[in-house]
Amino acid sequence: MAPSPSTAADAPVLEARGLAKSYGQVVALECGDLTVAGGEIHALLGSNGSGKSTLCKILAGAVKADAGELLQRGRRITLQSPSDARDAGIGTVYQETSLIPALTVAQNIQLGIEARSRLRLVDSGRSRREAVRRIEDFGSTLGIRFGPDDIVGDLAIDQQQLVEIIRVVSRRPSLVIFDEATASLDRVQVDGAFALLRRLREEGKSAILVTHRMDEIFSIADRVTVMRNGRSVGTREVRDVDPAALIDLMTGAPADAPPVSRRAQGSEQPILTVRDLSSDAFRDVSFALRRGEVLGLGGLQGQGQSELLRTIFGALKPKSGEIEMAGIPGAPATPAAAVRRGLAFASGDRKRYGTFAIRSIFENLAIARLAQSRSPLVSRARLEPRLMQSISGAKLKFGRLDDSISTLSGGNQQKVVIGRWLDTDPKVLLLDDPTKGIDIRAKRDLYEMFSVLQEKGLAIVIYSSDATELLEIADRILVINGGHVVDELKDDRKTEFELNAAALKGA
Amino acid sequence: MTVDVPRRRALNVPRSPLWLAASLVVLFSLASVALQPTFLSPRVLQSNLSTFLPLMIIAVGQTYVILGGAIDLSLGALVSLVNVVLVTSLQALGADPSFAAIAACMGMALLVGAAGGAVNGVLVGVLRLQPIVSTFAAGIVFGGIALWIMPQAGGSMPPVYAKTYAAKLFGVKGATFMLLSLVAIIYLISRTRFYIYLLAVGSNRPAAFQSGLPVMRIRVLSYIVAGLFASVTAMVILASTSAGDPLMGQAFTLGSVSAVVLGGTALSGGAGSAIGSMLGAVLLGLINNVLFFAQLPFVYQTIVQGTIILAALAGGIMVSRR
Repeated sequence: MAPSPSTAADAPVLEARGLAKSYGQVVALECGDLTVAGGEIHALLGSNGSGKSTLCKILAGAVKADAGELLQRGRRITLQSPSDARDAGIGTVYQETSLIPALTVAQNIQLGIEARSRLRLVDSGRSRREAVRRIEDFGSTLGIRFGPDDIVGDLAIDQQQLVEIIRVVSRRPSLVIFDEATASLDRVQVDGAFALLRRLREEGKSAILVTHRMDEIFSIADRVTVMRNGRSVGTREVRDVDPAALIDLMTGAPADAPPVSRRAQGSEQPILTVRDLSSDAFRDVSFALRRGEVLGLGGLQGQGQSELLRTIFGALKPKSGEIEMAGIPGAPATPAAAVRRGLAFASGDRKRYGTFAIRSIFENLAIARLAQSRSPLVSRARLEPRLMQSISGAKLKFGRLDDSISTLSGGNQQKVVIGRWLDTDPKVLLLDDPTKGIDIRAKRDLYEMFSVLQEKGLAIVIYSSDATELLEIADRILVINGGHVVDELKDDRKTEFELNAAALKGA
Repeated sequence: MTVDVPRRRALNVPRSPLWLAASLVVLFSLASVALQPTFLSPRVLQSNLSTFLPLMIIAVGQTYVILGGAIDLSLGALVSLVNVVLVTSLQALGADPSFAAIAACMGMALLVGAAGGAVNGVLVGVLRLQPIVSTFAAGIVFGGIALWIMPQAGGSMPPVYAKTYAAKLFGVKGATFMLLSLVAIIYLISRTRFYIYLLAVGSNRPAAFQSGLPVMRIRVLSYIVAGLFASVTAMVILASTSAGDPLMGQAFTLGSVSAVVLGGTALSGGAGSAIGSMLGAVLLGLINNVLFFAQLPFVYQTIVQGTIILAALAGGIMVSRR
């Protein structure tokens, strides 16, 4: 029986009731409830492992629920595949884009909806024109730096994310899901994406916004649903809550007081000195790092910060300039050489540079120690206590050491990736956006880990796309813009205002 | 200023550029002209084309599977199977069959190829078995069926089959006609949605699924297409040999893979071209040709041949790493 038009109009665009999903023994989602009204932007907040990703994947048709039901405007629907969801008017923008690297921007935007000629062959000219129209219509506010014929695999990550956003949004879904889709975007791009969401909202369309960034929720969302341990624990009007209340709801306990007491700076010889270092991605970078110091690298996404860190670590070759480590001059030729000299590196891109996904937690922890060891044999009996000792401060939550590292939440995986270096006795820890996509509680644990290391005399160079984080943990911040260090912020100039001002200067 | 963060390439397996295969073809053609003055005469060109054509066709078929990120190690055995099915059925028609009867036999040959491809497609696309192992095993079965149908090489064919292929139509012989058809079919396929989706699946399968593409259907279809090309290969071979052989296809399996890779298609899928694979097949043929006319002692020929192929492959990959 079809519902009458009036109830259909009043009914929520999408309602999830008691959705559940388990993978074997692991319960990913126990009871997912979510109600999205027409013309609203609904934020979904929760720690990693709280079930919000699984809930989104069910709504996107990528995962089938074990139990529960989905209603669209009051009618029950079943989504067997992503194409079902697309046909139901649900579009999803993922954090890891679902673009095809080998195809052009235009082909990706039209993928699955290509224009065809009478002979049912692809009318590539018409398809391309259609894509160009979509890029012009939806890309103008996003700060795009690509053309329709660029190969997607050649674009930077943030640009790929923008292609994905245009692809999904330009198909005018009645509900668009942003699954941490802003994580790799800089502030200007996020603002542009939000402008698109507002435009959809004005057209009466709805959006679900999954994010870790509290400021994003308060700048755009109408309502927010909080998830914890696989269950929806509450929905609030955004104008009625404050961030502290949301964090309480998320963690199920009052928020921890921010830790990290700044200790006094030692004033000894620098442990790492970089002089006039240049490459394709950055120019004339100089700094001196002391024991126990945390140096922040700031600025918009993709201004050469990652390349700088990877160059210091020996993964990329500098064009000119000097690196001096503990009094020994010369840039390390390879990461292996860098490790021997006491450098350690952890990236926020865990899948690519961090975890060995199908191997155990133990092996993932031991790998750095093993790489440093000269012995051809491995004694697990001797290694295990040492590793457990060195990671003991990290509040690592795991089942058994022999479980695959993929069984851990993102935050706990990152603790392993960073923790693997602790037993190698590094002098300098290089961190490339290490808390990307990690929930607030795991971030706190990581900050604590950093401060313990700092007190032991370890120096840290950290790039972070999260300004709040950088301001909190860095002693001083080099702001990088277009590959140049444009400002150095410390003491009373170390503020969000100065950071944004320097990052956006001339950009 | 665009500063690139690490690029997310399909996989970090490089592919050699198309121009490399093309220039090697030119190089070995020049060598052929030097060693064999009649190389450019229409008769020799025609004969070389007939010799190279089967590998060119099967390599094009293999291309579509590899572009989808898989591989088909049963294609050689499938060529054998179609070959003996076709010979046996043509033989049963007697000495002077009607064109309709021959066409029916050829239609059946196409069906056998498509069915073999469908088997592989189900194994890889539906059951999601590893392509290398499952198609290798399926190939053993295809070869076994071929031996069962025709235990020994031989058979006599209605002469009209080969005669038609050798005859001239509008001034071109069957082989030339096949070559032109092959290029036309490659062009047509490249204009289909299937082709774009195939590149998508080969380039990033999870993304293709998330984008709502029918991943399973595309993978099954790629194997069926390859099976059809195997059928055509068998028909073309039969037209020049006029006899059946249950083991004749063996060399085509890895030969087709070599041609595809020499032609610049990435084994990881998602990037490459069927035209490149044709060039790769021609290159493999020309290498043989040059070695033959260089009058190298037979015992060394295979060593030199292998070394040249290895050098060409390595060269392509070195160039693309730049």
